[in-house]
Amino acid sequence: MFTQAQFLSPEEQQIIHKESLRILKEIGVLFHSEKALDILAKNGAKVDRESKIAKIPTELVDQALKTAPKSFICGARAKEKDFALPSTFSGYVLDNGGIFTRDFKTGKRRNATAQDHHDLLRVFDEMELGAMVWATSVQDPEPYSNLKKILTSYMHTSLHVQHELNHPNEVPFMIEGLEAIAGSADAVTERKLFSVIYCTLAPLVHEGHMCDAYLELIEYEQPICVFPMACAGSTGPASLYSNIALGNAEALSSLVLFQMAKPGCPIIFGDASGSTNFASGGFLEGSPEMVLQSAARGEMARFYGLPNEQAGCLADAKEHGAQAILEKMTTTLPLVMNGVDLVQGPGALETSNMMSLEQIVVDDEIARYCKRIRDGIDMSETKNYFDDIRDVKPGGHFLVQMNTLKSCRSDEFLAPTLCDRDAYEKWDEFGRPDMYEKAKTRVEEILAAPQKHPLPDDVIGKLDEIIRRADETIEE
Amino acid sequence: MTDYSNIESALLSGDADTVCNLVQAELDKGTNAAEILNDRLIKGMDIVGEKMQNGDMFIPEVLMSAMTMNQAVDILKPLLGEDDAATSGHVVVGTVKGDLHDIGKNLVTMMIGSSGFEVTDLGVDVAPEDFVNAIQEKNASIVALSALLTTTMPMMKKTIDAIHESGLGDQVKILVGGAPVTQAFADGIGADGYAADAGSAAKLVKSFV
Repeated sequence: MFTQAQFLSPEEQQIIHKESLRILKEIGVLFHSEKALDILAKNGAKVDRESKIAKIPTELVDQALKTAPKSFICGARAKEKDFALPSTFSGYVLDNGGIFTRDFKTGKRRNATAQDHHDLLRVFDEMELGAMVWATSVQDPEPYSNLKKILTSYMHTSLHVQHELNHPNEVPFMIEGLEAIAGSADAVTERKLFSVIYCTLAPLVHEGHMCDAYLELIEYEQPICVFPMACAGSTGPASLYSNIALGNAEALSSLVLFQMAKPGCPIIFGDASGSTNFASGGFLEGSPEMVLQSAARGEMARFYGLPNEQAGCLADAKEHGAQAILEKMTTTLPLVMNGVDLVQGPGALETSNMMSLEQIVVDDEIARYCKRIRDGIDMSETKNYFDDIRDVKPGGHFLVQMNTLKSCRSDEFLAPTLCDRDAYEKWDEFGRPDMYEKAKTRVEEILAAPQKHPLPDDVIGKLDEIIRRADETIEE
Repeated sequence: MTDYSNIESALLSGDADTVCNLVQAELDKGTNAAEILNDRLIKGMDIVGEKMQNGDMFIPEVLMSAMTMNQAVDILKPLLGEDDAATSGHVVVGTVKGDLHDIGKNLVTMMIGSSGFEVTDLGVDVAPEDFVNAIQEKNASIVALSALLTTTMPMMKKTIDAIHESGLGDQVKILVGGAPVTQAFADGIGADGYAADAGSAAKLVKSFV
């Protein structure tokens, strides 16, 4: 059976649900979008136009939960990398949001460039458990429009791309770009090569332009990952219980809005709650409290029968090494053992401010270890090797049994790619390599090899032309 | 000599009732209001600032001290003469246009406000021209710009450019901050200073006057 971790009992999940409904009904949610307020008012929410607060009745939540799809596929440019939701294993989403890079040659932190981010996409493309990427997010070496960041990402990854749109005027250009990549207007809807992240502003606020953009985008059925980021103790209440309820309420308010606007539009029920560094007021994401909340919100997604994406595999560490590994393992294993569909965070250090190429490879190793633990103990009859025990008899060994030969390279035993298992002398002879040195070699190999799934030149040409027109039309 | 240590320790504990009672008791004894403000309360907040920098006080504790300070100042205000009441300067604070995040900006506002400055908080999503207007209207000597998003960082430069274009560049010192902002970025866009957190912001603002 799968190894299973549970963070909220069924009764506690009901409590979180009820508290979320109470927040929505009694306190309400502030929407900066008039269009959103119109939709909510039309469907029975109590809207105060002056404060822009909508109080959302329970019936709307019930209705939204009925129409939200329980499964769909996030398409990848390389079809074999499509990611079906819900998933039987935890896939990973590259956080490409770091404005700094740990320089691959010097190891020093510096401002990230677009080239760094393209390299990150290339490396992540080769990771065993990579499922999706966030688009490039940096300005250097020259100002990059949001559309350029997204569309150029498709040139460097074969995976599904997830990002934000900032304004409704980006939507037509984005759809045109997706048509160029997917091949037709119908394929844009069918393949779903793009999804958007929708971060509510804790506590209980929806942005205006982004909300309006997504209300247009849903006509094309691109999935929306609702991604509350309430920080327990600062932008959220100072208990995990209430911060989980607050984040859940924000996610439900997003679900209601988009389902009322277009019943059946695909929603990923995500979460990136944090805890507060009380010494500075800053956001912490490598903390045990972060992952407890993230895992609990994953359980709430399953409580509602919705696909989910949870922040994890994260670190507040500033450098490669022990703290990074400790925090990343701590914020990954609980999510994987909880069965979340997507873990968002690999590659990032310094509270997602800095990206590292080697860390992507190290994080994939962490992910593989976590998956092995999650996959658990295969208790099927085919794994009952009683006959081997009988044949070997007391005092023998199993090394020459056929089952041992079959198993030694099977999923029964994880073969690490970075962790050292050599004898001391051999390890010493090889120069005492550590995980990060091996990861560096792997990065060099990937970047030296030709891209496996290059985007055809004619499509790149079309995208460049769309980006040029968009940049002329849209003022950032 | 009067012992004010209780005012300071109560201020550090964020005990507003005790601080206000002690301030009132000092006034009743005939102690000068300006002396209580400058020599005790503001000095007490300096200790709070230091403890915050050292990680000895947590932000919620610091904010409680700042709110306590404000209540005590309210008692003293009517008794302060024109010169006594003169603050260290006027600071305009806001989150730049396109950005709705305000928790860091609010922390900075409270810390600067409790350091003896008048503060005008313009809120979030503030356009460059609104910063310019507020600087003129309040005759501010310092402006502090906040941004959390990488996408709104360029708006900091636009705001600074607008301040210079309006001819106010010589009048104000410009301070920038926010999670993605760095000293190098601040230098690159022509800011006069960068602060990584609210305590440093208050310290920097004091160094400007």
